Amino acid sequence: MDFIYTIIPPRIMSQIFVGLSRTVILFIVASGLSLILGVLRIPNIWHGSLYMVGAFMTFTISTAFGGGSIGFWMALIIAPLGVAFVSLIAERGFFQHLYEREHLMLLLLTFAFSLVFGDLVKMVWGMEYKSVPVPRVFQGSVHLFGGQPFPLYNLFLLVIGPVVALALWFFVNKTKIGKISRAAAVDREMVGAVGINVSWVFGIVFAIGCLLAGLGGALVAPTVNVSLGMDHTLIMEAFLIVIIGGLGNIWGALLGALIFGLAQSLGILIWPQFGIVFPYAAVIVVLLLRPTGLLKSTW
Amino acid sequence: MLEVKSLSKSFGGFVAVNRARLGVEKGEIVAVIGPNGAGKTTLFNLITGVLKPENGKVLFKGEDITGLPSYEVCRKGISRSFQVVNVFQRLSIFENVQISVLSRERKTWNLFTPSAKLAIKETNEILESVGLMGKKHRTTGLISHGDRKVLEIAMALGGNPELLILDEPTAGMAPEETSRCIELIKDLSGKRGLTLLFCEHDMEIVFGIANRIMVMVRGGTIIQGSCDEVRCNQAVQEAYLGGSDVCSM
Amino acid sequence: MLKGTLGGMGRIGGGAVLILLFLLPLFLPRFYIYLGSTILLTGLVATSLNLPLGYGGIFQFHHAVFYGVGAYAAALIITKSGLSPWMGFVIGPLTAACLSLIMGLICIRLSKLYFGMLQISLGSLVWIIVYRWYSFTGGDNGIHGIPLPRVISSQNGAYYFTLFVTLISLWVMYKIIKSPFGSALQGIRDNPVRSAMIGINVKLHQLVVLIVGGFFAGVAGSLFVVVDTAVFPDMLFWTLSLEILVMCLLGGWFTFLGPMLGAAIIICLRTFVSGVTDYWTLPLGILMMFVIFFLPNGILGYIEEKLHRGLIEPTIKES
Repeated sequence: MDFIYTIIPPRIMSQIFVGLSRTVILFIVASGLSLILGVLRIPNIWHGSLYMVGAFMTFTISTAFGGGSIGFWMALIIAPLGVAFVSLIAERGFFQHLYEREHLMLLLLTFAFSLVFGDLVKMVWGMEYKSVPVPRVFQGSVHLFGGQPFPLYNLFLLVIGPVVALALWFFVNKTKIGKISRAAAVDREMVGAVGINVSWVFGIVFAIGCLLAGLGGALVAPTVNVSLGMDHTLIMEAFLIVIIGGLGNIWGALLGALIFGLAQSLGILIWPQFGIVFPYAAVIVVLLLRPTGLLKSTW
Repeated sequence: MLEVKSLSKSFGGFVAVNRARLGVEKGEIVAVIGPNGAGKTTLFNLITGVLKPENGKVLFKGEDITGLPSYEVCRKGISRSFQVVNVFQRLSIFENVQISVLSRERKTWNLFTPSAKLAIKETNEILESVGLMGKKHRTTGLISHGDRKVLEIAMALGGNPELLILDEPTAGMAPEETSRCIELIKDLSGKRGLTLLFCEHDMEIVFGIANRIMVMVRGGTIIQGSCDEVRCNQAVQEAYLGGSDVCSM
Repeated sequence: MLKGTLGGMGRIGGGAVLILLFLLPLFLPRFYIYLGSTILLTGLVATSLNLPLGYGGIFQFHHAVFYGVGAYAAALIITKSGLSPWMGFVIGPLTAACLSLIMGLICIRLSKLYFGMLQISLGSLVWIIVYRWYSFTGGDNGIHGIPLPRVISSQNGAYYFTLFVTLISLWVMYKIIKSPFGSALQGIRDNPVRSAMIGINVKLHQLVVLIVGGFFAGVAGSLFVVVDTAVFPDMLFWTLSLEILVMCLLGGWFTFLGPMLGAAIIICLRTFVSGVTDYWTLPLGILMMFVIFFLPNGILGYIEEKLHRGLIEPTIKES
């Protein structure tokens, strides 16, 4: 193991992995987006608002339980579920009526929802930043990478990422609903003709996709200032990741997030002022070489 | 005029067109027949540039046009109508045909003269010849299916083609519309001297108009010959006409 | 003959509106003149988007990039180069058109949603460069206090300049729509396979309309510099692109003046609702939902449809 440190200094290794742990959140949100895009063919701009709602809900729930660890764990369960519930209502009430129409209309409807929710969040939580404390279990750091301190919470994130990926993979490939949704992604009419209630499958898939957005928001809450506008940059980056990974491909979202995160960490290390441009440039390079994404898309 | 040599195309593992061959002489009317899924439309798509073939050649008037994009194929003198109606649904019948004429006259790069003043005579002529003159200002989204199929042909005529390819021109038409369409096709060949290639399911129409028939089964060409040759061919009878002896008719 | 009457009425109506627009500064307070200028230039951006979007059928998701780049180019020419400010107003749109060409060449290989998403990626790259390059573009502050020639530096002067440029731009775009190129474009929108089959080089026509749309977005960007004497990186952000798209949809994206109407509605909404409450995106979102479900062709589209059905169809039946 130690020979790696002669090529890459431990400090930098550590920074790269911290960067990757932040990208885990991007992956979780992007995987939900990819799921919705792949199965329902909806470019869900509302996803960003739901991420933001997840974060704000985490703040409220955490504070309600006194700001301790229990509050955080409760929030981690309640916030995503709450988001999923709201999204299911929206899908049943609004989105499903537009499936016959052009994608552009669905996209604009999700944009409309994000506008409405942007203001709703403002109304409920106000305009100031909110802070969510890191749960005591994860406070502090552990000595990894040649003795460099690595924040425990980021380690937690690095573990959660693959767990979510595996859970999603299991859902899509091994459960009945997952298999139906994969079939419906390819041929909606056929699945309906076989007698399966495609409508509800879509509702559930949409809810799960949005649940992931809420989960991402809940997980990110202890690491950043929870504020208005966090939906905007995130949704842009999530879409880019989904595109380079291949629409509807969960592993593609993982790969895309990895590329994005690595490009960001390396970029900032090499060129502090402009390094943040690197991930965007990486996206463009990928798209020029493989316009439909790195892995197979379901479209 | 048109020669198709050993054309092939597959989608994934499925072979849609398998070494098909076809020949059309100038002034002829050739029909392509075959069961559903035999690859007739795919063949037409390969000839007209909608799809790219994997193997084989398409020669038009001696020139190799294999794999050329649709718009170039059109410029060479081949026009086509589609099986599933492909028209400009938000525009009027007149505008649909007019755009075809304007395209042929290479005027689509004109950004400033109002369209309303151009190509009026030519467009009206075509509309007159297909019988759509009375409805020319109707929006295509609102006209009957039969009229739309005729519009398809009218648009193909806008390009002043030498070879006209019609993909199931009477599909879905009511009986009177069908006979009108057949008269139109006969006119196009007789009066205008167009070379025609079409595919149809209605055997009466096929045997009634065609000079030669090509039979496709599972993507390949079984035979191309005159009506009698095809009718009496064993393989065709087994694959398509039901196996009974229709030669004695 | 009915068409002639409508045409005649349209001309009188149009003439009256024009005269009104010219006389506005005489009786409206300064704030409303500023608002009017803003509506005009935003309407111009929206109309420039509608060329590829509504008439070309292209999913132009990040049109704001061309608007922003046009504005920044003009601002930078005026503030940083020694050239005359009028050069800025020429170079702005030209820069936008060039960017349009480059982005178009990259994106045109893909269709529909992929095109839109790739454009968003490229546009985001441009945004982040502008946002971060503090020394050149002013970073997240933008550029303020841009000096203008005296003729157009006053509120009224800016208004008349904007009105003049907007009217000419609209006239040019209208001519283009009504030309054979415009007809071919609409054919491509309705059915690209059919268009190719009648001899139209679809990709090339689409590329040209992208450049034209980008050019006029750049013109609108230059006008923004005149009206606001400032530029901001927000002008390049994807939310603005979607807002402009909403303007087209709201007003009617298959009509020529629809986008202008949509722009007017949204700007008035933003201005007057923001004056009353902090929450103006909520009513906008709800308005959007209403339009998506009940008026998918937009307001002018709806009116046009009713007119067509009610007045023109019966006349055709008679003839």
